[in-house]
Amino acid sequence: MRYPYRTYAAKRLIQAVIVILLAYVLTFVVVSILPGDPITSVLRDPQNGFTEEQIQATIAAQGLDRPIPVRLGMSLSHFLIGDFGLSMRSSRPVATLINEVLPSTLILASAGLLVALLLAGALAYGTQFLPKRFGQGFLRGAPSLFLSVPNFVIGLVLIHVFGFQFGLFRVIEPNSLWATIFAAIALGISVSARIAEVLIANLDHESRQEYAVVARARGLGHARLFLSHLLKPSSLPVVTVIVLTIGELLGGSLITETVFGRAGIGSLVQRSATTHDLPVLQAVVSLAAVVFVLANLMADLIYPLLDPRVKLFGDPGARLASAEESAVDGSGVVTP
Amino acid sequence: MTERLSQLPRRQLLVTTSAAATVTTLDINPARSAGSPNSGGDITFLIDSLGDTWIPNNSAISSFQGHIWGHVTDKLVYVDTDGKVSPWIAESWAQNDTATAFTLHLKNGVTFSDGTPLDASAVVANLDIWYAGRRNEGINPIGLFPKTYDHAEVVDASTVKVFFKAPTLGFIPTLGYHGSILISPKTIAQPATQQANLGKTSGSGPYLVDAWKEGDFVKLVKRKDYNWGPPAVGHTGPALLDSITYKLVAEQSVRVASVQSGQADVAYSPSPLELQSLKEAGFTVATPRYLGFVNGLAINTKVAPFDDVKVRQALQAGINRQEIIDTVYTPDWKLATSFIQSNVPGATDHGDLLVYDPAKAEKLLDEAGWIKGAGGIRTKDGKQLSLTLSSNPYLVTSKAVDELTAQQLGKIGWKVSIRAYDVVTYGEKVRIGSQTVPAYEVTRSFIDAGTVASILTDANNGENWFALGQSDPKINELRDRVAGAGSAKIRDPLLDELQKYVLEQGYFIPFTQIVQRIYLQSPRLKGEVYNGIAYASYYNATKRT
Repeated sequence: MRYPYRTYAAKRLIQAVIVILLAYVLTFVVVSILPGDPITSVLRDPQNGFTEEQIQATIAAQGLDRPIPVRLGMSLSHFLIGDFGLSMRSSRPVATLINEVLPSTLILASAGLLVALLLAGALAYGTQFLPKRFGQGFLRGAPSLFLSVPNFVIGLVLIHVFGFQFGLFRVIEPNSLWATIFAAIALGISVSARIAEVLIANLDHESRQEYAVVARARGLGHARLFLSHLLKPSSLPVVTVIVLTIGELLGGSLITETVFGRAGIGSLVQRSATTHDLPVLQAVVSLAAVVFVLANLMADLIYPLLDPRVKLFGDPGARLASAEESAVDGSGVVTP
Repeated sequence: MTERLSQLPRRQLLVTTSAAATVTTLDINPARSAGSPNSGGDITFLIDSLGDTWIPNNSAISSFQGHIWGHVTDKLVYVDTDGKVSPWIAESWAQNDTATAFTLHLKNGVTFSDGTPLDASAVVANLDIWYAGRRNEGINPIGLFPKTYDHAEVVDASTVKVFFKAPTLGFIPTLGYHGSILISPKTIAQPATQQANLGKTSGSGPYLVDAWKEGDFVKLVKRKDYNWGPPAVGHTGPALLDSITYKLVAEQSVRVASVQSGQADVAYSPSPLELQSLKEAGFTVATPRYLGFVNGLAINTKVAPFDDVKVRQALQAGINRQEIIDTVYTPDWKLATSFIQSNVPGATDHGDLLVYDPAKAEKLLDEAGWIKGAGGIRTKDGKQLSLTLSSNPYLVTSKAVDELTAQQLGKIGWKVSIRAYDVVTYGEKVRIGSQTVPAYEVTRSFIDAGTVASILTDANNGENWFALGQSDPKINELRDRVAGAGSAKIRDPLLDELQKYVLEQGYFIPFTQIVQRIYLQSPRLKGEVYNGIAYASYYNATKRT
């Protein structure tokens, strides 16, 4: 292959475009077949007292009675030139709505991921080196506990204890540093569970390898053994899990943002989903598709750095490795 | 138009006298008008939603956005909790004796926040858009604005003449309705996408929008040159509080705990079940009733078995309303005495028709041929006596009320099933008059009892709540006489007769008087005023530091 990088990039780009378009169309179809939309919903609010004649006149005036394929064609033609249209709920440009809330969600999701990684790392370290009498067993069970407690419960407990009892943050200022930290903790705890499970399983496997036994016999300290020898080979499947947790971070941000009163993509999706605000949902789903595509690409690029045996391309006949194709067996252990 | 004006009867009912009297007899505190020592301070109001769009016409009646509009805009008249109408931007008004033409005399010197004068042409622009909206742009009309509106004319800078196609006695009270907010003509001229930007909308109210973010918060700051508040609230100068921040906190327990911990001043929509303990803890709890219909069921008389008056009457007698208040609500809620709230001018007490009498209900059902069978369910011709209730998603307590009602009716042989939908699906699946909706749960505010005439039948674009069409001559007659009445004196006895007839016939089955807006407030905040639509105004409020 003469230009392997270009070919690889072109293939991934085409795949990404197809995925995003499919996500856009699928969202349109799913939401369109559901009964109701924000405009009709307002018209049918009994408080308004509109007659059926008035409602139908307004629906017709705004083109909501056109067939679904016609509306899809119009929507798609705008989308292809980068126009997300107007929110049916608020009549404001969808791009503006997303721009207003995206930074807040990116901060929360990044901080949540950081909390999750630190927590998973700490749990994994503890399971390897903490004596059994000091709660190693508890640490091994912690991921299951984190998974089983809904993050809105964690959020409410954090708000009531640290917000109201200790006064560390004010609920009415959800974007303050402390409020963001506690929101990130609420979001990060459940995300950390999946990462910790895989990391612990791989560390158990690696710590039984001869190189680890030798390192330990040579008197290497726990921290150095963990950071210099065990962590890197155990991290390959963790990268896959992190990519998969992006969905969890986005989904979790919906609940965390609602509980903490933060305006973000999650709360925007919640409002749009409950009102069937199609243009906003299409834009957010497309955005999520872009995020997933990019995250998968990043995972592909990180793999060879962690394990030189994994190659994106090069040798004739070598296959492209990807996050989905990584050889992870049922226990999360790498099998080269 | 001048020709039509000249056709007005010379003897106009001058309401000016009473309006002026209202102003002069009010206890206006001069110290407050000039700025009181208590002025200053900022409050935070936690709310469970900030609604959808901010296009004024589409959002003014929102249970959430109405709070903000009430501070950013003014109205032509003020309506208090008892439905009493008093001057505001309209200093006085007059009507002809058929209630088809009205003259509004406006206060001078009022301006919108963009500097545009609030004069006669601005009022005409508002009346026109309230009536017609701009549908092709997505700007809806105001639903309850009189559909009989014809047009309005500028007489001079401070005088407007308004004409109707038919008698519209409710016009003046409707000017105090929460949909009737005065917006700058410059904003009205903007396209819908611009009107949807709250920061670019100009009202003439005591507060200005300082900052806002959709789905997050709206911060209002006081307008220092404001000097045209409604005299009825005892203060006409600038607002006393410096700022009000409406912050969206969706979680109910967090809103309540924020007020308890002193982080916020007001929490909207706490649970009714918490109110007593919060009161005992020293917090202020307000459960104002709006003017409008009570919470209840509009019965579809076209759907069997509700085409039988005895079945409807059995339903009326088979609901224990006191138990609903005792179980779902608190003593702050009141028993229904009619199908309109008891604070509406013209409402009369027909509580005797709403007494819980299960024995009477069973007798009526027996007479109608519905016989108790296996499992206690009544049947007739092989069909079970069934009722499907679709809980009203606009009222959080609706499902609990429906569940209790189902138990009560179950005891007398009814099989009641309950359906719950989200707001959007409800709008599509549950429509008044539909064959699949035998009972439509209603909550709706209005200002003037004349509104009732427009829901009774399908005449004149009526909403036809009971699917009667024109089939009940008595209802047709009362509808026309109520709608055509030129004065409250003529209309009130008709309204009394109408209320009695609707309840006797079981067309409307009230549950309780409705409290849709519940406020939990810090004891440090005082002086809030609730209007006829149960919105809290903090224009007059002060906060102890």
